[in-house]
Amino acid sequence: MFDQFFYQDKGLFLQSLHPAAALTYLGILFVLALVFTNPLYLLGLLLVVVLAISAARGLAVWEIYLRLSLGLLLPVIIVNALLTHAGKTIIWLGPRLPVFGRLTVSLEAICYGAAMSVRLLAIISIFCLYNLMVHPDKVLSLLARFASRSALVLSLATRLFPTMVRQMANIQEVQMVRGVDFHAGTLKERLPRYAALMNILLLSSLEDSLEIAEAMQARAFGSGRRSCYRRDTWRPRDSLCLGGALLALATAVYGQAKGFSTFIFYPQLDYLIKGPMTIIILIIIILSLSVPMVLSWGWQRCPYFNAKI
Amino acid sequence: MPLFQCENLTYYYPDREKPALKGIDLSIEEGEFLLITGGSGSGKSSLARALAGLIPDFYGGRFGGKVYFQGRDMGQMDRRKLAREVGIVFQDPEKQLVMTSVEAEIAFGLENLGLPQAEMSRRVAEVLSFLDLAEVRQEFTAHLSGGQKQKLALAAVLAMQPRALVLDEPTSQLDPVAAEEFFNLIKRLNEEMGLTIILIEQRLERCFHLADRVVLIEDGQVKYEGTAEQLARWAVAREIPFIPPVARFFVRLGFPSVPVTVKEGRRLLRSNFNYRKFPPLRPVVNENPGEPVLTMSRVWFTYPNGKEALQDISLQIAGGELVAILGNNGAGKSTLLKTMAGLLKPGRGRVQVMGRDLSNECRPGDGRIAYLSQNPNDYLFQDTVEEELLFTLKNFGLTDDGVVDELLEKLGLQRYRRVNPRDLSSGERQRVALASILVTRPRLLVLDEPTRGMDYRLKDELGGMLTGLSREGVSVVLVTHDVEFAAAYATRVLLLFAGRIVADGPKHQVLGQSVFYSTQIGKMCRGYVDGVLTLQDALDRLEPVWPARQAVPEVR
Repeated sequence: MFDQFFYQDKGLFLQSLHPAAALTYLGILFVLALVFTNPLYLLGLLLVVVLAISAARGLAVWEIYLRLSLGLLLPVIIVNALLTHAGKTIIWLGPRLPVFGRLTVSLEAICYGAAMSVRLLAIISIFCLYNLMVHPDKVLSLLARFASRSALVLSLATRLFPTMVRQMANIQEVQMVRGVDFHAGTLKERLPRYAALMNILLLSSLEDSLEIAEAMQARAFGSGRRSCYRRDTWRPRDSLCLGGALLALATAVYGQAKGFSTFIFYPQLDYLIKGPMTIIILIIIILSLSVPMVLSWGWQRCPYFNAKI
Repeated sequence: MPLFQCENLTYYYPDREKPALKGIDLSIEEGEFLLITGGSGSGKSSLARALAGLIPDFYGGRFGGKVYFQGRDMGQMDRRKLAREVGIVFQDPEKQLVMTSVEAEIAFGLENLGLPQAEMSRRVAEVLSFLDLAEVRQEFTAHLSGGQKQKLALAAVLAMQPRALVLDEPTSQLDPVAAEEFFNLIKRLNEEMGLTIILIEQRLERCFHLADRVVLIEDGQVKYEGTAEQLARWAVAREIPFIPPVARFFVRLGFPSVPVTVKEGRRLLRSNFNYRKFPPLRPVVNENPGEPVLTMSRVWFTYPNGKEALQDISLQIAGGELVAILGNNGAGKSTLLKTMAGLLKPGRGRVQVMGRDLSNECRPGDGRIAYLSQNPNDYLFQDTVEEELLFTLKNFGLTDDGVVDELLEKLGLQRYRRVNPRDLSSGERQRVALASILVTRPRLLVLDEPTRGMDYRLKDELGGMLTGLSREGVSVVLVTHDVEFAAAYATRVLLLFAGRIVADGPKHQVLGQSVFYSTQIGKMCRGYVDGVLTLQDALDRLEPVWPARQAVPEVR
């Protein structure tokens, strides 16, 4: 049931990238999502991420993320619009409330809320993309070179999560047959029933963890310095994707310094397009970040291209 | 020089008064296939852990005597060195896999040994090919089947290239087909690679014949050691159940040679019994089975991924019937059981228990249906055994009218009344889980794989308990892979395949006609005396015609 939220090997181009290249690419997307304030740039970034998700054949999963995000984003826009009084262009005057004062809705606050929602959606989508394109073992092996024990703990947690979800469902079924009704009563009455579920899960997990530790010791874990098995191959595709991502970052830094990718919301809305350079910088960033998707397209359609990268 | 040598090995787990191992003297030669058997809690798993160097290193506790590996005291050996020499595979594959993907799992032990990358790559590739896992090398371990997971656990140990392999009931969580495949692998490792195998097992039908030597452990001590045939004779004379039914049959008839496989058994039958046409066994059919407790009419169930797990299932189960459901993995057995228990709602069709329609109710169970899942730990979270029983009563708004005492007595749990159920053994935990659902006096009891990991004695106890319940009028339905158990205790057998019932009838009819879903005795007698399933059936039919003469020696 939760399988689609985890990495699934589909033999895709994006999944064949070296973990360092993939993580750098995703990291730059993440940083840009945090740095950009210009709504156009945020929308451009979201477009790139959605294209990448499409190349990773994850639009169906992303739809679920989108639906969940909308439930979070709409309240963000409404609450921000009602509680922020920094905007000058008032479009609605509400009643006076204790503590909050007079409720006002300004155009600036609505735009700010909308831009922040796009940013949040872009960040959530980047995590969705991470799950679609990066094999957790690849990341862990990369991490293992610097922090082997932390990597192992993460690996164990990743492995055991689906097992625990399954176990939880089994325990719930058992409790239902023993007469526990998880739907009846108020939230306060229902909570202890769920607490009992967690209790059983925790007790069983503690017992299981001893057996896992024993199996690890039997395989010489902790007997001395470990070596690292995984060596991922660095291919031309990784250099191209990394190059594109770094170019996007450098351009974004320039755009940020010159103010093309920034936007002032309060007290009055700034100009969205401050000149042709705003558009040129945005196009360069979008094209640079689209390198993996372009390569993915060529990789699927052209065997010669495929062999070269 | 023996590979392993135990001298007066005694071991107490921490905070335990009773020793798990008591004065064990045992030597194991290089290349030997040693089978260690015994009941639950006899100490065989403790011995396995001592041979793998995990006792006392991992568990602590008090340790006496010596265990030598190639003349070196194992207590003094470097752990890394020891892991290279002795590998161990445990019961449950879920609890020994560490990494998320197949390849990384195999490499885990090699990384721990600090091997160079090139050496690791070679070993991982070799093991993947040998165990036919190359196809799934990138797969997530969570997506593998039970059999594949256990094969992976074996691969991960084999990659470390040990000289001895200790296997602690490695097939107890597997279905018969996966278990058979696993034992074939072990046999190859022993015969083709000369690996020393120490197999701990309590279901012996499939592995008794593989062993060069069998050791029986009881109460932490070696009770007997010898060849499979020697042990069979010794054990039958003492009513010890730890031998396969075919061997028990011939020892009971007083044959000079004791076969341990179906093939040898059939050869002996052929040379010693004239073919006789026995009248077919008339299955005991209850002409008036009474009111049905469970009725399923044209039930279909489809999972969200589109898999039709149940297709057009119609059946009735009357009060007092003990029904065993057999079938391969993925046949829909557990889905059928959960549908009966009201945990899954059918997409189409009707499920009625005592006239109550479960198909439309959102809440499963009202105390008249009891469901025992595969894992008894899913039930246990109260501080005492008694509280576990009272918890169910309270949920259904019932009061204790003496049922708690009655059940504790019946299931042999009275002395554990105030004990935390998590401190009990696995067999006892299962009895507590069973008691916690029987406390509502259900009319329908459904059990999912209740004999998993049980020894012969515990299975007999469980079989007796279920038979007792069915005599009291409770309808019992159980899913099992254990054909021997179904043959011994069920009154009716259902065979499920790809979501459909392909056979349904009295056990002698269904199992007697099946080639694959048959008991060891049934397979042996097929063609000589049809319809025989259990040891008792075979003795009843063949003992009277067994000529009181010297048996013809086996022709080899």
